[in-house]
Amino acid sequence: MSMSEPILLEVVTPHKRVFSAQVSEVSFPSAANGYYGILPGHTPVMTPLGQGLIYYVQGGEKHWLTAFGGFAEVSSDHVTILARDSETVDEIDLDRAEAARQRALKVLKEAQTESDLSSAQAALDRSITRIQAAGHPGGHGF
Amino acid sequence: MAGLQDIRRRIRSVKNTQQVTKAMKMISAVKLRKSQERLVSLRPYADKMRAVTVSVVGRIMGHHLADELVLGPSAQAFLNPREEKRIRVVLIASDKGLCGGFNANVLKTATAFLEDRNKADVVLDVVGKRAADWARKHGFSSHAEYLGIPLTGVERVSREVCDDAAAQYTRGEIDAFYVIYNHFYSAVAQEPVVTKVFPLDLDAPVIDGKVGVAHLLEPDPNTTLEALLPRFVETEMLRSLLESSASEHGARMAAMDKASNNAGDMIARLTLTMNKIRQASITNQIIEIVSGANA
Repeated sequence: MSMSEPILLEVVTPHKRVFSAQVSEVSFPSAANGYYGILPGHTPVMTPLGQGLIYYVQGGEKHWLTAFGGFAEVSSDHVTILARDSETVDEIDLDRAEAARQRALKVLKEAQTESDLSSAQAALDRSITRIQAAGHPGGHGF
Repeated sequence: MAGLQDIRRRIRSVKNTQQVTKAMKMISAVKLRKSQERLVSLRPYADKMRAVTVSVVGRIMGHHLADELVLGPSAQAFLNPREEKRIRVVLIASDKGLCGGFNANVLKTATAFLEDRNKADVVLDVVGKRAADWARKHGFSSHAEYLGIPLTGVERVSREVCDDAAAQYTRGEIDAFYVIYNHFYSAVAQEPVVTKVFPLDLDAPVIDGKVGVAHLLEPDPNTTLEALLPRFVETEMLRSLLESSASEHGARMAAMDKASNNAGDMIARLTLTMNKIRQASITNQIIEIVSGANA
C-alpha cells in the first residue's frame, strides 16, 4: 500500500518477532476490560494483554493473530504488543489444535484434581483461540 | 640422532593436541549456534520490553505522578529510587575455561565495579564456577551459586533470582540490582558490561519539548505496573544469561580456532627442523663415505 497507514503495529514474543508493519486499525484483547479497538491518535494506554484474537486492518483488509497474555502499549502512532505467545493464522496447525481440544475435553471429563482441571481448561481455551483464528481466512473483513 | 626421535615425538603430541582443539572448536560452534538462536529470538522482545518500560515509567516520573499513585512493591523499586547503600549483583561467567579472555574480562570488570564498595553491602549471586572461584578469592560470600546451568534452565534461574531480588528490595535489604555479563556482538566480539536492572536510570521521553502524555494504566496503575515490572526484570536477566552463554561459546570457538592454527604452525616448524636434521645426517654420512672411498 502506498497510501500511508498511520499506526505502527509490532507484535513480539520471547521466541520471535511475529509482526511489524504499518496498519490503519488494531484490535486486541485486554486481560481485564475486554477488547480494545485502536484507531490513529489514540491516547497512550498500557494494559495487560488477555487471551484471544488480535486483528489489524492493512490495505483495507482484516488480518488475524492469536494472543496469549502479555502486555499492550498504545500511543497515538503505534501499538506495541509484548505477547507471552502469539502466532499468525498461517502458523496455526488446525489439526493439531483440534486434537488438543479433544484431548482437553476428555481430560476435563475425567480430571480428579483441581490442577488437572485448570490446566485442561487452559489447554482447551488455547485450542479454541487457535481454531477461531484459523476460522478467519483473512482478507475479507467481518 | 637423539634429536630426531625427540622431534618426532613432539610432532605426534602436538598433532594430538590439535585434534582436541579442533574438536572443541566444532562443539563450540554447535553450542554457539543454539545459544545465538535463543538470544536472537529474544532480543526484539527484550528491546521492546525495555522501550515500553522506559516510556511508561519515564512519563510517570516526568509528570511527577508517582506521588499520586498508590504503588505496589515492584513499582516502588522503579518509581521511588532510594539512596544506594546495599546492592545486589549477579555476576555471570562460565563453568569451564579454555575460552580466551571471556572469564578474565568479565571478572576484571566486576573487580573494578565492586572495588570501592564495602563487601558487606554487596549481595552477590554468581553464575558459573569461574565466578564462584573469583568470589571466594576476593572474599565475597556469595548469596547463591548457579553452576552448570543448561540452556534449558536459564528461564528458571532468571525467575528465581528476580523473585528473590524483588523480595529483598521490598524488605529494604537492597537498594539496587545489577547484572555483570559479557555482551554478545558477534562470534569474535564480546564485551563485558554492567547493567543496572532496577531502579532504572530514566530519561522521560520528550516530545516537542514536553514530556509525552503519561499512559493511562488500565485497569488500574497498581495492577498494570505490578504485572509489567517483574516481567521486565526477568526479561533483562534472561537476556543477560543468554548473551553470556553465546559469548562464552563464541569466545571458546575463537580461542580453539587460534589454538588449532598455532598447533599447525608449530607442526610446520618442527617438521622443518626435523627435515633439516635428517638432511644434515644424510649429508654427513655421504661425506664420510666419500672421504672413506678417497682414502
